[in-house]
Amino acid sequence: MTVEFARGKSYVVDRGKPKTRAGQGMLGGLDVVIRHFFGAFGKKIETQADTTGVFTVQYPEERLELPQAFRNFPILLYDDATGHELCTSCFQCERICPPQVIHMSQATDPATGKAIPAVSEFIIEYDACMSCGLCAEVCPFDAIKMDHEFELATSDHPSMTVDKAGLNRPISYYQAIAPRFWEEAKDSALKKLQGNMKRRSGNIGITPSFIGKAKQAAPAAAKPASAATPAAAAKPATPVAAVGKNMSEEKLARLAAIRAANAGGAPAAVAAPVAASEVDDGAEAAAPVSAAPTRTAPSTGLPFSADNILGGVPANTAMVEDKVERLKSIRSGNLAKGE
Amino acid sequence: MLKTQELQINIGPQHPSTHGVFRLIVTVDGETIIDLKPVFGYLHRNHEQLGEVSTYIQSMPFTDRLDYFNSMANNFGLSIAVEKLAGIEVPQRANYIRVLMAELTRILNHATAVAFMINDMGAWQTPLAYGMREREKILDLFEMASGARMMCNYFRFGGVVRDLPPEFMPQLHDLMRGLPTFFDEFERLLRENEILMLRSEGVGILPKELAASYSVTGPVLRASGIAYDVRKAEPYSVYDELDFDVPIGSVGDVYDRFLIRIEEMRQSYKIVQQVIERLPDTTGGHINPSMANIGKQKALRPPAGDAYGRVETPKGELGFYLVSDGSTRPYRYKVRAPSFINLTPLGDMCRGHKVADVVVILGSIDIVMGEVDR
Amino acid sequence: MPSMSTEELKERLIRDLPGALAPARARAEHANNGGSAPKADPLAKPKKGEEGPVDLLATKDAIVLAERIPDVARYVRDTLGYTLLTDLTAVDYLADGVIELIYRFVHLEGGPTLAIKTRVPRDRAVVPSITPFWPGADLQEREAFDMYGVDFPGHPNLVRVYMWDEFEGFPMRKDFPKQGDKYIDEEDEA
Repeated sequence: MTVEFARGKSYVVDRGKPKTRAGQGMLGGLDVVIRHFFGAFGKKIETQADTTGVFTVQYPEERLELPQAFRNFPILLYDDATGHELCTSCFQCERICPPQVIHMSQATDPATGKAIPAVSEFIIEYDACMSCGLCAEVCPFDAIKMDHEFELATSDHPSMTVDKAGLNRPISYYQAIAPRFWEEAKDSALKKLQGNMKRRSGNIGITPSFIGKAKQAAPAAAKPASAATPAAAAKPATPVAAVGKNMSEEKLARLAAIRAANAGGAPAAVAAPVAASEVDDGAEAAAPVSAAPTRTAPSTGLPFSADNILGGVPANTAMVEDKVERLKSIRSGNLAKGE
Repeated sequence: MLKTQELQINIGPQHPSTHGVFRLIVTVDGETIIDLKPVFGYLHRNHEQLGEVSTYIQSMPFTDRLDYFNSMANNFGLSIAVEKLAGIEVPQRANYIRVLMAELTRILNHATAVAFMINDMGAWQTPLAYGMREREKILDLFEMASGARMMCNYFRFGGVVRDLPPEFMPQLHDLMRGLPTFFDEFERLLRENEILMLRSEGVGILPKELAASYSVTGPVLRASGIAYDVRKAEPYSVYDELDFDVPIGSVGDVYDRFLIRIEEMRQSYKIVQQVIERLPDTTGGHINPSMANIGKQKALRPPAGDAYGRVETPKGELGFYLVSDGSTRPYRYKVRAPSFINLTPLGDMCRGHKVADVVVILGSIDIVMGEVDR
Repeated sequence: MPSMSTEELKERLIRDLPGALAPARARAEHANNGGSAPKADPLAKPKKGEEGPVDLLATKDAIVLAERIPDVARYVRDTLGYTLLTDLTAVDYLADGVIELIYRFVHLEGGPTLAIKTRVPRDRAVVPSITPFWPGADLQEREAFDMYGVDFPGHPNLVRVYMWDEFEGFPMRKDFPKQGDKYIDEEDEA
């Protein structure tokens, strides 16, 4: 049966000469291999058009640059200036997640008990997350985005269930890894954030590491100084400490700052997810206000300072140029805020 | 005097050459195979029932994991089926992007399938490295467009999730410049190699008269001499506007399947060239505007009824049979997996050959256990 | 490219294989045209769920009696020329008490697929096997048996394909518990 195709034909593949030759076929293949072998000495493959050359990237000394669209695990965003988280606990990401690994609960007003557009607990089980990116796609507030960090291997299984403190990242971090995506989303996201901020009272919706910083937007005076520092207090059981070896430099810096502040403040041993509700209850901690200036002094406890901006980065870490620049800009920004 | 006895030996499930967790119970007389019984189910993840409890868009990332080598093709299959069920139109640009991704997937699958098959034959890692190198280049392109190398989750109902980034086309042009050299070298590497010809000619023959009755599709069917390709038989997307040929084999043995796959790579290259030419002139966006918001994808309620959508993946015909009861979740979600059904003639193809040929024949069928077991 | 509409298929089945087509289901709203010229009910149901329960069994495709499946399959292959059985699907309609099997054929010269459906009661799901003369149905019938419990007398090797041989129950049936059947320990559930 012959079949006629529109716009094409079917043809029988030529099977070539019968196998009566003595080794010429093998020599033909060997010729290809030898040409590649000698062609690979010293020449790296520059563009995708090259077929000879060294193709190997010597990881971890060399790294490839990740494209902007790369998605690994989700993170939550908060505003750099005010510390307000963009998440309003609308549950859209929880509903769309195919393996159902997102869990959250909404914050309520301590006075009236009504729901507030902020999230009090947020947990993602990283070990079951498929990295499909549907949560980031559906979020109406651009609060949850896909991170580029993939070097998260750990032997501590419980630490793979990450809570809000471990998921929070400043918008500047996301802007640095995916500038074009943030450009498109920026305007509507910040506008919605302004609207939500008006409906949040007290410290609700502010990322825990910001609560207590002396340099703060309007509600600075009313904020209890150390109410949220216990949130990130380094108990060995909390996820923050457990993934310490894999945290980015700025996170290490934040953690060190908080720990230094705790040396002066009165740490109450509470776990991170409960921190927000503690804040909601308006727990006026008895920490002295003097703890605030101690914490913000850049030279106390932080591994880096203005003239040693790359301090604290382990010596065997090899970073590509733009990552170094990013780190410097983030740290100098943090230093500026701290003063 | 000396009595021989038939022996039952077990190949797999942990075996480097069974292309996944796959068990074969082989009855041999000496070294010759008398009977072969495959045992499935080691990777059964209940994908079809997951499809029944998830909405249509939530199934999309799960289809990535069916034939995990070619996630774009699986996405394509589900999109075609749901669009048929719900009557969603796809703009022209989205169609061309889809065809581009599908054909790049075909190139990378055939490069690795041939590489693995030759690896199983004993040519070890050299052709494997050559095939994987081109695969890496194409995976970089996928990462740029969709965000992930293998589990792409790129297609949505009505189009694709986002348009191609500006750095995609220059890199694709670079790749296209290098591909013909790769095809020629890859073919030259082993096509006329005497050892390969000895091991693959006349091995695992599937005769033309029997091929259709075994329900095989894809390169295995075409190697037996039947020119059936879903892209020509029931054209979907924009395949009816593109020129390409369908290579077929003459004998139906392992050598034919090896040659067919290399020729299909060349035909896919031809298609990608045409797509690149026409892409700037296409109309429409990257997704149907009425389905552009993920909220609409989530809340998709196709009318009650059923639909069967099929695509030509590199392994064969992938079909999705969906029964809708009018709600956001399908009532029945069935995957017609090509690798599973292509394994039907495995026993008959292997009978009379040696144990070492089983691995070669299995490699020539080109299976992926994610699809076989779902 | 050969293409056969369902009406044409039904006419040919009535003409060449009398008695193979299943009689129309008795439905209060639609009049029956008599037992010899059965017509399947149109997909008349509205889209939204509020307007009444959806009739999942309403279909335009040809529905054939289960015991005539081998004859119909041979007819489709030899006379109509659709030589490739591309798909054999089982669907469990719990509310209506039937399991529907869809046989999908393809013509090697191209064209859309041809679907033949058959319905069997859930508690006595028996369909004669076509594997003896159509080897391509082998694994597909085994899958329908394993997942839905449809028996195919005449199949040379009807054993489970995904679940282990001693497994009890048919996992894809709608009344199979989605979580916590007897094979999962309480401790195993996360």
